[in-house]
Amino acid sequence: MGLINGLMTTIKHVLQEKATFQYPEVERPVRERYKGRHALKRYDNGMEKCIGCALCAAACPADAIWVEAAENTDDERYSPGERYAKTYEINMLRCIFCGYCEDACPTEAIVLEHEYKLSFTDRRDSIYTKDMLIDPVPPGGQDTPHQVEPHSYDRPIPDMENPK
Amino acid sequence: MVTIYIDGVGYEVPAGTNLVDVAKFYADNDIPVFCYHPKMAPVGMCRMCLVEMGSVEKDKESGTVLLDEQGSPKIRWMPKMQTACTQTVYDGLAIRTNTQQVTEAREDIVEFLLTSHPLDCPICDKGGECPLQNLTMRHGPGVSVFYFEDKMHLAKHVPLGELIYLDRERCIQCARCIRFSDELAGDDVLAFHERGRALQIVTVSDPPFDSKFSGNTTDICPVGALTTADFRFGARPWELKEVPSIDPYGPEGANISLSTRLDRDSGGGIIIKRVMPRQNEHVNEIWISDKTRFGHHHTRHIDRLVTPLHREKNTLIETTWDKAFKQIIDKLKGATSVGAIAGPGLSNEDLWELRQLVLAVGGSEKSLGIWPATMSGGEVVKQVGIAKGSNFNTMGKGTVIVLVATDLEEEAPIWWLRAKAARDRGATVVVLNGRPTKMDRYAKFSLRHEYGDAVGAINSLTAHIVNGNHHKADRAEGFAELQKALKKVKADDRYAAAAEAIAGADNVVVFCGAEGVTLAQHAELMQACANVLILTGHVGRTNNGLIPVWPGANTQGAIDLGYTAEATAELLQNPPAVLIVAGCNPVGEDIAAANLRNADFVIVTSQFDTATTAIADVVLPQQSFAEREGTFTSGERRVQRFYAAQGVIGESFPDWKIFAQVRHAIDKSTAKVSAGAVMAEITKSVAAYSAMGYKNLAQVERQFPDVGGTDQYYGGTAYQNTGGIGVQWPVSAENAEAKLNVVPVSSEKSKAKGLLVVPTTLLYDRGMLFVRSEIMSLRIPPAHANFSPADAQKLKLQDGDMVEINLEGASLTVQIIVNETIPAGVITLPKCLSDQPGPFAPMVAGSIEKVAQALAATGD
Repeated sequence: MGLINGLMTTIKHVLQEKATFQYPEVERPVRERYKGRHALKRYDNGMEKCIGCALCAAACPADAIWVEAAENTDDERYSPGERYAKTYEINMLRCIFCGYCEDACPTEAIVLEHEYKLSFTDRRDSIYTKDMLIDPVPPGGQDTPHQVEPHSYDRPIPDMENPK
Repeated sequence: MVTIYIDGVGYEVPAGTNLVDVAKFYADNDIPVFCYHPKMAPVGMCRMCLVEMGSVEKDKESGTVLLDEQGSPKIRWMPKMQTACTQTVYDGLAIRTNTQQVTEAREDIVEFLLTSHPLDCPICDKGGECPLQNLTMRHGPGVSVFYFEDKMHLAKHVPLGELIYLDRERCIQCARCIRFSDELAGDDVLAFHERGRALQIVTVSDPPFDSKFSGNTTDICPVGALTTADFRFGARPWELKEVPSIDPYGPEGANISLSTRLDRDSGGGIIIKRVMPRQNEHVNEIWISDKTRFGHHHTRHIDRLVTPLHREKNTLIETTWDKAFKQIIDKLKGATSVGAIAGPGLSNEDLWELRQLVLAVGGSEKSLGIWPATMSGGEVVKQVGIAKGSNFNTMGKGTVIVLVATDLEEEAPIWWLRAKAARDRGATVVVLNGRPTKMDRYAKFSLRHEYGDAVGAINSLTAHIVNGNHHKADRAEGFAELQKALKKVKADDRYAAAAEAIAGADNVVVFCGAEGVTLAQHAELMQACANVLILTGHVGRTNNGLIPVWPGANTQGAIDLGYTAEATAELLQNPPAVLIVAGCNPVGEDIAAANLRNADFVIVTSQFDTATTAIADVVLPQQSFAEREGTFTSGERRVQRFYAAQGVIGESFPDWKIFAQVRHAIDKSTAKVSAGAVMAEITKSVAAYSAMGYKNLAQVERQFPDVGGTDQYYGGTAYQNTGGIGVQWPVSAENAEAKLNVVPVSSEKSKAKGLLVVPTTLLYDRGMLFVRSEIMSLRIPPAHANFSPADAQKLKLQDGDMVEINLEGASLTVQIIVNETIPAGVITLPKCLSDQPGPFAPMVAGSIEKVAQALAATGD
C-alpha cells in the first residue's frame, strides 16, 4: 500500500506542468524590478543622461564604480549640463547588484536592467567601460558628442524630462 | 582674559577677540557664518550668525555680578538678535545660541539664500566640502515656501581671467573674494556690480583678476561660485586623498596639501589633482600664492626624464642605472678635483648625502655651491636671524618692517601678504630699494637709493642711529671699529626719520634681498642689516631679526649644511674635473655659468632636459618633491616635512638615494634606506638640527582660529594641519649672554660707466619646473627689459622694440618696456624669462642694438 501511495505522488507530478526551465535553451523571464547589469541611459536626442557627478561611486558599497568627469563644450557636447562622464567603469566582479547607484543618481542615468548573463575568462574583462554600458542611440537620435548652438544648453543639471 | 557666558556657561577667553572665533575655539559652539572669515574684518552682511545677546547685570557700586534665584548671573538681554561676527568679546557678554528664536532665524536665512541657489551640487566642484551645503544640512529648514521655478537663472561659466571661473547663480554675495583681494592682497581687481537681486561679482582689472593670490578666493568662497580652471570637474572632494607637503618654489615654506587621486589618463597612477593650503599660523596661515597652487604640473609632465642617460659619441643615450653608476664611480675615484652645485629644490636629506659624497672623494666645503648663487650671509643669519617663535600674526603697532633690496611680492608672496597684514594692524613699513615696488604703496618710508649702493643706504641708517645716540652697544662686539668707520660715512638726511623709527620701535624685522647687488656686495649688505639690528637691540627676541629673501625653497637648508654661493662663484670661475649639478639649470639661466662646459666630467640630476643636461656626461632622473619624503628649511629657519604623494615617474630616484649609493660603492659606508634615516644622521652631525628628527617635525598643535576640521564652513576649504608644523632652530642672539659681531662694511660703488643691467626676480618665470604648468603660460611675461624713458629716448628706442643687449661676451634678445619707475642709467632685466641665459648679477651693458621695430600701434 505504501508503494502505491508513493507512486501516486510521482504520477501526480508527472502529469503537472514542469517547474524547471531548460536553461540556457529556455530563459525564464525576470521580474520587472530585477537588478541585473547596469545600463547608462540616453535622452531621445541621443545625449547621455549621465553628468559624471560620481554620486553612484560614492554610494557604491563595493567600490565597483569609477568615474572621471570632464566639461562639455558647445562643439563637443555629451550631456545637456556642464559636466559629463569622460570615463565610466563598473567592475562587475565587485558589484553586488544592490542598486544603490540607481538610487543615488540625480538624473536617472544609471539603471539596473535585466541582463544577468555576465561571464568573463579574464579579470580585466570584468571591468565594463562606458561603451559597453551605454544604451544604443534611440531612433532619430544622434550619437554623442553633439555640436550644438551656443547657449542651447545652459542649465547645470537638466530638468528631468527629455530636453526639447 | 574676560568671562563670557554662552548658553548659560561661563568661559574665560582672551579680551578683544571675535565672538565667533572664541565660541568655536573655547566653547566648541559652532556659530554658523557665511560672510565672516576669521582672517578678514567682519561685515555682518549675511546675517547667518544671529544670536541672542545680552550683558551680565552688575551692581553699580561694587561692580559685583548680580545673581538670580538659581545662583547664575542675571543677564539683561537685548530686544532683538545681534550678529555675532561683528561683536568683540568683553567682560560679562552673554549669548544664547540654542533658543527657538535663533534656530528659526538660521532656518530663515538658509531658506532665503537658497531661493536663488541652483542646487546643482552633483556637478559642483565644491559639493562635499561646501559651507552652504554643510550649513543647510545642519541649520536649514528642509522645505521651502518659495517656488522652485522662481529661481534666478544666470551665467554659469564666466571666466574671471584664465585661472578662475565664476558661476553667477551659485554666488551668495558674501563678498569674501572681493574683501580678500582688496583688503588682504591689496589688489583692487574684483567688485560688486548692480544692486539687489541683480548684484554680481565682476573683475575690474586688465588683465582680468590680475592677482598673485587669486586661487585663495576659491578656497574661501563659501559656495562653488569660484572654481579654478586647473581643478574644474577634476574629482569629487571625498575621493581625494590629502597628502601634507611644502611649497617647492619659495623661501616662505608655505604648507600645502596635495589632493591626490588615481587617474585613468595617467595610466591609472596616483596624481596630484590640486594643491590646497594647509593651515600653519606660523608660516602661511591659510594662504598660498598662485605659483604654488598651479605650479604642480611638472610632477607628471610628459617630458620628465625616466631613465639615466650617458654620453656616447657626443649624444646622450639611454642607459641603465648600473652602467651609469659604474661610470660615475670610476670618474669620482680618480678625480683630481670635485665640486657640486645644488639646486633650490633639493631637500636637506639630498643636500646632506651630496655633501657626504663630495667630502668622501676629496672635496671640501669650498666645493659645495648653491644655486641660484645670488645671496650670501649664512653666518649673519646664524647670529641675528629672526628669533624662534616669531609670528607675523602678532606684529602690529610698534613693529617696523624693513625691506631691503627686494621686490617682496615677486620673490616671496606669502611674506609680502603677511607683512602687509601686519602693516594694516599698525606696523610701519620701510622700503629701501632702487625702484618702487608694490610694497611702496603701504610704506611710511619709501627710500630710493642708487642701484649698487644698498650698503651705503644701510650705512646711512646705521650712522643716523649711532650719531643720534639711539644705539645700545652692550652686546655688540667690535663696536669701536664700526664707530670709527661710521665717522667717514656721510649720513644721508633722507634716512634720518626712518632710522629714528627703527631705533624707537618695539620690534624690527628686516627682509634682505639681493636686487641690484653683486654677491660680494650682498655679504656686506647682510652684515650692514645685522649692524642695524644689533645696535638697536632688535635681535634675539620674538618678532625681531633678519629674514633673508632666499631665492629657493631650501636655500636656508643648503647654507645650514655648508653650501655657499661663494663656492658656486668659484666653481663657475674654475670648473672642477668632476662636477655634480643637482636639480638646477645654471647653464640655461646664468651667462656666468657658460664656463661649466670646461669641466671634464659633468654629472647632472634633473627632472627635465635642460641646457645643463646638454653639457652633461651622465644625466640621472631625479624625483620631484611630490614623489618622495624630505624636509625643507624655510627662510625663517623652520624645518618642515613633506610626504610622498604620487607614484614614481619612470626609473627616477630621490637625490639622496643616488648619492648615498655612489658613496657606498666608493667608501663602503652604509647607504641609508630612508629619508628619515638620513635626517637622523643630520640630527647627530649638525648642531642646529639636533631637534629635527622626523617625529618632532610631524608634531601638530591646535591652532587659532580653528580652520579646517570636519565642519568646513568656517575658513572655506583650507585644510587642517596633520603633517606637522615644523621646528625652528634658534639663533645665537637668543642666548642673552652671546656677544654679536658688528663689522664695518664698505659702501664702495663700482666705478664702471654705462647702463647698469640689474637682474630682477619675477614670481612667474620660465624656470625649468614652473614653465611646465601650461595653465600659467599666459601669466609668464615675454622676455623683456625695463628702460627708463630717458635712456630709451637716448637710444632712440620705443616701447615694444626688440633689442639685443650684449653683456660680457653673451648677448640676449629681449623686448623693451619703457617704464617710468625705472631710474635713469638702469635697465632692469627679469631673470629666467628667455631661453637664452641672462645675467644673475648686476653688470654694465655693452652695446644695445635694435633688432626689430615695435609693431605699429593699432589705428596708425
